[in-house]
Order: sequence, then structure tokens, then C-alpha cells
Amino acid sequence: MAGLPNVRLNLPSRPENVLLVRQALRGLADTVALDAIELNDISTALSEACNNVVVHAYPGGQGPMVVEMQGSADGLEMLVRDRGHGLKPHASEPSEIGGIGIPVMLALADSVEFSAVNGEGTDVRMRFATPKGAVLAGQDGGEETSDEAVGELLVEADGGLEGVNGELESVHLAVGPPRLARAVLARVLAAVAARARFSTERIATTGPLAEQLVDHLAEPLQDRRLTLTATVAPRRLDLLVGPIPAESSLEGLTPALERLTDGHGVSRSGSTDLLALRLSDAGPEQASRKKNNGMPGDHGEPRRHTA
Amino acid sequence: MMTSQTRATTPTRSGEVPARGEVRQPDPRQLFIRWQRGGDPVAREALVQRYMPLARSLTRRYGRSSEPFEDLLQVASLGLLKAIDRYDLERGHPFQSFAVPTILGEMRRYFRDSGWAIHVPRGAQERALRVRDARERLANEHGHAPTVNQLAEYLEIDCEDVLDALQAIQAYETVSLDAPRPGSDEGAAAYGDSIGTDDERYELVELDATLSAVLGHIPARERLILRMRYVEDLTQSEIADRVGISQMQVSRLLRRSLDQLRSLTHAPAAAD
Repeated sequence: MAGLPNVRLNLPSRPENVLLVRQALRGLADTVALDAIELNDISTALSEACNNVVVHAYPGGQGPMVVEMQGSADGLEMLVRDRGHGLKPHASEPSEIGGIGIPVMLALADSVEFSAVNGEGTDVRMRFATPKGAVLAGQDGGEETSDEAVGELLVEADGGLEGVNGELESVHLAVGPPRLARAVLARVLAAVAARARFSTERIATTGPLAEQLVDHLAEPLQDRRLTLTATVAPRRLDLLVGPIPAESSLEGLTPALERLTDGHGVSRSGSTDLLALRLSDAGPEQASRKKNNGMPGDHGEPRRHTA
Repeated sequence: MMTSQTRATTPTRSGEVPARGEVRQPDPRQLFIRWQRGGDPVAREALVQRYMPLARSLTRRYGRSSEPFEDLLQVASLGLLKAIDRYDLERGHPFQSFAVPTILGEMRRYFRDSGWAIHVPRGAQERALRVRDARERLANEHGHAPTVNQLAEYLEIDCEDVLDALQAIQAYETVSLDAPRPGSDEGAAAYGDSIGTDDERYELVELDATLSAVLGHIPARERLILRMRYVEDLTQSEIADRVGISQMQVSRLLRRSLDQLRSLTHAPAAAD
């Protein structure tokens, strides 16, 4: 995988994080022309590789699970890496019923490579040829000239290694070019919001928030990355987004933040300014009553402001 | 360096333990010999029994978001039969490494042949509608919007399916605005009572479900323009006024969005 991957997730090897990986893949799939079968193939194989890390890499514990996704004109490449004893590359003697992960990967990917990383950890690299390629099609709004491959998005989650329900968990994310970022960020934010047990009403506001963040922070960054760190707690998400490209980019963003978050400020990390956001959801106790009668028109989600 | 480990590889997470209580199973080698060389149907049946959990497990993994599980399981079983018939004992590979690609291949072919790649949006769309309805029902019952887990439990589907449905609903709401337009045909009745009379909305949901996978390609402003044109039924000049660009630009943007959507949604299901 030459250069930076389009999407990179660094997550604790927990079962529920496989969902995050699949959601990020769906976000990626939303921006490239994958058909449903291709997506299903990739998603299944990727899940197997991740499940292997979850189940086998860190016996009795957990550790990092890194997933990288890279689109190109020929297709997509997925890398799944652990720092434990992930896969046994030649474990093609699966027990009777168990151990079908590797055969599944081999059957669905166009190529699979297993390599040990310095005797510690395993890389599983899968390539999927997609007839239409996996480079973004079309232009974005005309203002954007770049027609390069998907761009970078880095998602890292760490901390909360002991995290059971209710414990803090951090998700760290960095975003490159906007189109992919919008889709993947929206998916990932919705997934972490669901994990924070937000109501669906509140979750619905994370899409517009992702769009706003990308519009105001990622667009001006051009080739630089936008990072996001999310700390997940019950009914609360704390986000750090940055770098802030210019003071002015916050001006346009502020109205949206007022509407979509429960608090925002600027936080300095080293030499970089980050946007600190809090999202919370009061939960059943004080949730506002829903309008009734199921008529359309009944969706209170804040609307995206349009230029 | 990693090959010396002998960790048990039986995955526990999805419980693919053979359903029947371990009744002293005969050696599968013997069964294969009896079936493949002796044509003994009892042996074949025993093999099917023995490896059915594999077919079931693969169906669950590969078909996790496809609707009728039983249908797909049938297809997987067919793949299993093929694998049992064609497996070559002499080559020394474990049955599994032959059966897995055979069964997956069968399911994949079924998807291709049945136009699943095209129809899958329909399943997704039905689910999105169920999720939307359940969301409103639960909200009305409890006085607050449900969580994803509550919806998943209520509808007996995966959290992940709920998340996907929410994405589809959201994309739809972004495109459609909430205002329904009256008057349209009755065709949507087949979809059950979830939509009632506002078939127009339904069409949009359908459109959207088909498009939701590709709407990400369309920048927000162009989505807005699409919505004004096709949902609010504004003229290009009206849109131009609202958006603050020229009518020519509106026309160009519409054309481009539509071309883009068309090229994306008509992605050929790869001539097999």
C-alpha cells in the first residue's frame, strides 16, 4: 500500500469494533462505484480478518487492530494488522467446523497475503478487483479539481482497553479530501453515537455535523489531514477535530455547531488548534416528547445550511 | 515462526457447533468413500448432516444483510451438495478448504443470477421503512426517540442493519424534504401498510434506497437542487433564484448530477 491509505482505523480488538470497520467500509463504498455483491464480498472477507484478530490475536486480552483501506483504479486493497498472534498463515487445516475464516478470505478476495511482522503480529493483505475501479467518479461541485483516488481518512480508536459498556473509549480519526471523508465520517460518527446510546433522533444530527465539519475544516485543508478524536461515554461524545485551517473557517461553522452540538471550544494540542465539541443526549428522562401522528413533516433534524 | 501454535480454532462467537448432540460420528473419510465410490446415499446424507453447520455458518456470514435467510441457506446447501459430490479425497486437502469456496461461489452466483445486486436495495428499503415506522411508534409510545439498540431489539434485527437503515432514511430525508405530494398510483400497496397513501413518498424512498449507495457522490448543493427540481417541482429559474446561481448553471448541475447518478446506479452487474 504505497503512501497513505484512504482509510485507516486503529481500534482495540473488540468484537463491537468490527462493526465500526464495516461501517467505515460502507462509507467508502458509498463514494466509489461498488456493486452490492462486491461490497458484500469485501465486507465478509474483511469481517473474517477482523474477527480473527478479535478472537485469536491476543489470547485472553486485547490489543490494537489496524485496518487500512486503499482504493485504486484496479480495485480495493484491505490491510488488517495485529500486534499479537493474529493468523497462522498456513492454517489451512481448519478444524472440522471452526477456522473457516481463512478459506472465506481466500475464496472472496482476488489475492490474500499473510505476513508476519517482525515475528510479532500479522498483516493480512487482501486485494479485490473491481471492474469499475475504486477511484472516485465524477467531480465534486466543480470547485474541486482533484480527481485523484479516494483521499485519506485515518480513523484511530484507542484507550478504553478495559472498556466495557459505560467505560470511556476514545476514537481518533483523521480526514483528508472531502468526499470520502463525508461518507466515512458520517458512518463512523453515527456508529459511535449509537454506541454512546444516543437516541436515533440525536444520531440523525451526526450526519449534518459530519458534513459541516468536512465542509469547513477538511475542504480548506486540501492535502492535509483533518483529525478527529472521539471519546465515547454513556450518552456523551467528546470530539476533538482539527487542525483548524484558519480562524475564519470557524466563523462559518459556528452556527452549525450551535445547532448540532452541546458545546464547542478550541483546544490546543502542541502547535495545533483543535475544535473541541461535546455531543450529549439526555436520554429518556428528559427527552422531548415526540410529535405524533406519523405525518411526514415530523422530523425535527436540523437542516443543513446551504450556501 | 507462527506455525507452531496449536490454538483451538473453533470460533465461539457464532456458535457453529453442530446442532445434533455429538452422536459418535463416523469418520468423514469413510463416508466420502462410501458415497463417492459406493454410491451409498446414507453416507451422503450423513455428510450433509455433518457439514450443514458449515453451510449455515457461511450463509450467516455472507448473507448477513440479505433478507430471506432460509432461501439463501437452500442455495448454500446446494453448494454443499456439490462440494460433497466433487470433493477429491486423494488430493489431501481438508474438505473445508474445498467446500468453502464452492458454497460461497454458489451463493454469489445466486446473487448475480437473481439480480440481487439490483434488488438488494429493495430489501434495504423495506427495512428502512420498518425502521422508520418503528422509530415513530416507539417514540410515540415512550415519549422519546428510541436508541439503535431498542430499535434492533424491537425489530429483531442487527444494530448494524438499523444503522444502515438510518443512513438510508437520512439520505432520503435530505433529498426529499418532508412535504409529500398528493396523488399517485396505487402500486405501492404491495409494500404493505407502512406508507399508507403517500405513494409519492414511497417512490422517493425507493429512488433513494437505490441511490443511497451513490448519493454520497452528489455534493450537498446538487442534492439540494435535485430535491428542488424533482420533489418541490420548482422550475430551473426558481431554483436559480433560490440558490443564487444562473439558470444555466442550474441546468448544467442538474444534468451532471443525473448523469452521475445514472452512471452509478446502472453500474452493470458485471456480465458473469
